Amino acid sequence: MIWQPVILSLQVTAVATFFILVIGLALALVLARSRFAGKTILETAISLPLVLPPSVVGYYLLLALGRGSPLVEWTGWRILFTWPAAAIAATIVGLPLMVQASQAAIANVDPALENAARTLGSSEPAVFWRVTLPLARRGILAGLVLGAARALGEFGATLMVAGNIPGRTQTLPLAIYDAVQNRQYDAANQMVLLMTALAFFALWFVRRIEQPKRPRPSSQPENTTA
Amino acid sequence: MSDTRLTVDIEKRLAGFRLAVRLEMGAEIVVLFGPSGAGKTTTLNAIAGLVTPDAGEMALDGRLFFRKHRSGAVVNVPARKRRIGYVFQQYALFPHLTALENIAYALWRRRDAHRRAETLLERMGLAHLADRYPHELSGGQQQRVAIARALATDPQVLLLDEPFSALDPAVRERLQKDLRNLQAEMNLVVLYVTHRLEDAFAVGHRLAVLREGRVEQIGPIDQVFRHPINHHVAAVMGLRNLFRARVMDSTPEGLRLDWDGLRLEAMPQPVAAASIVTAYIRPEDVKIIYPDRPLMSAVRHNQVIGKIVERRSQADLQTLCVSMPNGHELEVSFPVHAYTPLRLTPGEDVRLSLRREGLVILHPS
Repeated sequence: MIWQPVILSLQVTAVATFFILVIGLALALVLARSRFAGKTILETAISLPLVLPPSVVGYYLLLALGRGSPLVEWTGWRILFTWPAAAIAATIVGLPLMVQASQAAIANVDPALENAARTLGSSEPAVFWRVTLPLARRGILAGLVLGAARALGEFGATLMVAGNIPGRTQTLPLAIYDAVQNRQYDAANQMVLLMTALAFFALWFVRRIEQPKRPRPSSQPENTTA
Repeated sequence: MSDTRLTVDIEKRLAGFRLAVRLEMGAEIVVLFGPSGAGKTTTLNAIAGLVTPDAGEMALDGRLFFRKHRSGAVVNVPARKRRIGYVFQQYALFPHLTALENIAYALWRRRDAHRRAETLLERMGLAHLADRYPHELSGGQQQRVAIARALATDPQVLLLDEPFSALDPAVRERLQKDLRNLQAEMNLVVLYVTHRLEDAFAVGHRLAVLREGRVEQIGPIDQVFRHPINHHVAAVMGLRNLFRARVMDSTPEGLRLDWDGLRLEAMPQPVAAASIVTAYIRPEDVKIIYPDRPLMSAVRHNQVIGKIVERRSQADLQTLCVSMPNGHELEVSFPVHAYTPLRLTPGEDVRLSLRREGLVILHPS
């Protein structure tokens, strides 16, 4: 009986994670490597979902996805109270964690290395794939895992834009809420345990990858022949 | 100098000053020398295509790779297509790649990449370190990998930015010799940026002195050093004891100068009588005359008694600041190990000779 919300949660999280990766990486690259007017405002706006109440994020999404919104009029998407709406909510709340971690990681890559790649014949996409991305991969991966974990745990905004329809939009966190309301403590216990385990694993994984694989040379590199 | 291959004539407005560099180079090592902030690295970046000049032209073997003027088509070959080897200041080796992979980077998708990278590594004497990551290499080894990487695509031009300044002297000397050999072997156009005059002497065929964004003087190193074209160049080269003097007499036998009342004799140099010139004498060409020693011919001329103002000691050199009768100060230096019966402390008088051969007139620019 808990499998339906588990599968739905995985579906929503998978889609959200894909968009968090693509949009987050693009935003992180732009924010880390260019300067433009309003950059700080953009950074702040991206981070807002971290501190806003989920109901506020949900309300904005209702406005954006509801009837009468220019977006809906223009595209004709009617996705309120369907699982894609839950995926959008999950993307919005997971994005800031991805952007912050990847931006920091990309900014940390020495621009001289990218310049070296350019003089060695690499086009801009090649510079990104062969130099920037490999060197920033730990931070990017950490950001992605955190963002995905946050997407999986999304509750408030999802409730507002996707509702709580069992089998259609009821993700794990919503199912837990329902189970507790209906005093189905066995189901609640199973789902709570599963969520806790997933969150624990995600955070443990992030800690692991943020520790460098090879210890950096503490003092002098061994001096054989110069 | 062999035939001109690389020509650079560019301008760029930078914070604080304007870069306006003109250079013509053949297959040789030209040392771009100047104080930090003179625009040396920006010049290299512009040639490599990492910085875009506001205007100008650059060509290699007659082919334009950059042109931008008020009117006319803009040519700006991107860095990746210029095939100009660049050795960066801190080497900029890719930390996630091994020595071999760093060298093979530019050979990506080439069938012989691995073999060619191995050949280069061998040429640099690093074959046994192929699988080491940059942080597992010493500074000198990293520098060799960086040079090999820059040469992987067979560039015609090699740019080096302060390549050996972070290395200890023995390693530096070996690498400088290596670089000269490489240049001759591969017939490269090498532009070598440094702020250390010793490096310039060790590797360069010609010296270009850059100051505030301009090439003040370019020529064989010895010539630039001996005959700085103006006092800016002299100052950049670290020359002391610059002064203005009036030429009283200019004959094939020699010059007679008047330095604010002090009469000096100098070797014949092409200046007109009665002109005002800038001259200098190196501190080591000002000799202290010891009363207990016979007067050698070298110190016969230009004797003067001054008062010691200051005494400084460096590792192997003593420097005196001496106040002259004409009111100016002169720096005098002599080796630490020189035996001296004189006290040479501030306040003491000292008899000096300004070597006739050491008095050099700067060529007016």
